[in-house]
Amino acid sequence: MPSTLFGRWTDSSALSLGVLGVGNIGMVHLKSALAMPAVDVVAAADTVPDNRARAERAGVARTYDDYTTLLDAEDLDVAVVALPPFLHADAVERAAEVGVDVFVEKPLARSTDEADELLEAAREADIAVGVDHTLRYQPDMAGVKADYDDGTVGHVPYASITRLNDHPLGRPPADDAPPEWPLDPDAAGGGSLIELGVHCFDVLEWLFGDLEVRDATMGQSLDIPAEDAATVLLQAPETGTTITLHCGTYQWEQLPEVNTRLRLEGITGTISNQDHLPENFYASAATAALSNVASRFTNSEPDVFGPTFYLQAHYDALEDFCDAIREGATPPVDGADGRRTLELAETAYELAETADSEPLEIPEVMS
Amino acid sequence: MSVHVAAVDAPERRGGWTTNTDRRLAILESPVRSVLEPHLESLSNTDRITLVPDAHYPFHPSTGMVTDPAVVGSTAAVLRARTEADVAVAGMTDDRIAFDRAAGYLGYPSVLERFDTELVDLADESRRDRVVSVADQQLSVSVPERLLESAVVVVPSLRPTRDGPVAGGMRTLGRLAATVADADLTAIGATRAIEPAFSVLDATAAYGGDPIAADTLVVGPIPQVDAIGASLLGRSLEDDPVLRHTLGADESAITVESAAGDDVDLTALRRRIPDGELPPPDDTHPAVSTAYRLYAAVAGDAVPPQLEQRR
Repeated sequence: MPSTLFGRWTDSSALSLGVLGVGNIGMVHLKSALAMPAVDVVAAADTVPDNRARAERAGVARTYDDYTTLLDAEDLDVAVVALPPFLHADAVERAAEVGVDVFVEKPLARSTDEADELLEAAREADIAVGVDHTLRYQPDMAGVKADYDDGTVGHVPYASITRLNDHPLGRPPADDAPPEWPLDPDAAGGGSLIELGVHCFDVLEWLFGDLEVRDATMGQSLDIPAEDAATVLLQAPETGTTITLHCGTYQWEQLPEVNTRLRLEGITGTISNQDHLPENFYASAATAALSNVASRFTNSEPDVFGPTFYLQAHYDALEDFCDAIREGATPPVDGADGRRTLELAETAYELAETADSEPLEIPEVMS
Repeated sequence: MSVHVAAVDAPERRGGWTTNTDRRLAILESPVRSVLEPHLESLSNTDRITLVPDAHYPFHPSTGMVTDPAVVGSTAAVLRARTEADVAVAGMTDDRIAFDRAAGYLGYPSVLERFDTELVDLADESRRDRVVSVADQQLSVSVPERLLESAVVVVPSLRPTRDGPVAGGMRTLGRLAATVADADLTAIGATRAIEPAFSVLDATAAYGGDPIAADTLVVGPIPQVDAIGASLLGRSLEDDPVLRHTLGADESAITVESAAGDDVDLTALRRRIPDGELPPPDDTHPAVSTAYRLYAAVAGDAVPPQLEQRR
């Protein structure tokens, strides 16, 4: 019988945490958790031996080649689900069976139907579900929200958000084999709208409240099974804002440059996330590093991943989730938030399909 | 044999790339036919032709980092119409990506079905060893049998390799062969073992650090076409070991003829094409990784997975 969410964490003992899936993003969560105060990372699971070896080198005591074995064998408080999306529902349901709270990498599931099943299992088992929607944790996005909430440009009739990268095919020189599942809509739940768009939906609702999808179109620049570009027209009734969202996985990315652009066009001017990014990434990283070194001599905690703001956002999201679990509170980005992004994506897919299948109506020309 | 060049005229195109494959095929039809014409004689007695494009990874063809499948399709169409031979397009699965997957993403199946042309993964074919002379050495080259038993037309893109020199036809063939030698000698050995009929350089889109719509096709003997490609990318022929060993001493100048009266200004084209490199690898410079790990140890910070020491 699982313990109840509220009241499970009344003592000050460390959370016992396991990471299910330690590929790219799973390793970020693992490293975050290892650096987190009052968290014991006891185990990690991955089918790939190299990933397990990396987790062991990072300091995990035990690794498993099967996440279900880990869940059965370990006495966890929290599981981070960083598996491919087609395994999210099963992993959450397995975690629910053993009463373990879950922090799930986005997308929460491949569809709202799957999310509903997953969330129902979580509700019945009384486990908490958090979702790793990290854009809102980035300092540039937080800066936009602060400016917007302060009314610094007055009413905002129009906003736009763009998020582009090159996942999973990458750019030259491509050294690694691209994974299969992100290009398989059955496994991933979709293409770039599910990979990147759900993050955008989350940050837009965080800013503007409930959104309504008015139209959408999908694009493919290669002969791949899923879209590698999505453009969505949205409206935010509460704020009277019309929004365009464009996301795509077609553009070569050269880190540390990240092509995420959010612009709020207000009456008196523009709020842009670019104004809240360091002008020089490396100088900013060096400053953060020096600050962390100094913190060592003042016995204060370092800003984990301080020099890399996008990884720090993942740390902050997981830390917020763990704090909520300790306090018996609802996770700040919970299963309902994750499901909502899927609902918006599904509406966009439906509208795009309708637009593609309907012949254009020729307007009558008035003489 | 002279090298022939043709301009690909796309006067109604907006931007540097024509998205619609049918439209690209239509634009390419005439220039491909005229630039191949002087070289078709070399294929008159063959019953099987294998086209070898640069399809090493599914980069978008508009970048110039791979051969445009429409150029390959247009070439296949001319060869099928003007010879009695069966035509196939070949590539090879490597440790990064399966050939059918890369070719599928690039759109080869839908292009080639128009021309009844087969797509072949050379990783599934038997191989044969050939001993060839390379740089005063005898080199044993393992080559897919198909490339020894058919007339080979290599269709490279105009781009550099990650090491800097032109990718070219010889290095495209080198990727399909195996020797104990380095990549450059393997490229030379593969070319000598395979004895390709000619090379069709797809410079419709080129990459030299940035993409450029170069709208040009170059056809001729493989070392000469590679040399022209290297020159267009601003590379020194002397600094390229493959070209140094394969261009004859009397080939300080290569005769270039415009096909079908096209006036192609290669000097102007050279000025348009950037002479840069491929983007740097994602791997962080070792010095940065070491410095970050040192910082993390001192500050008690976590090391991002990308900066971990690989073992």
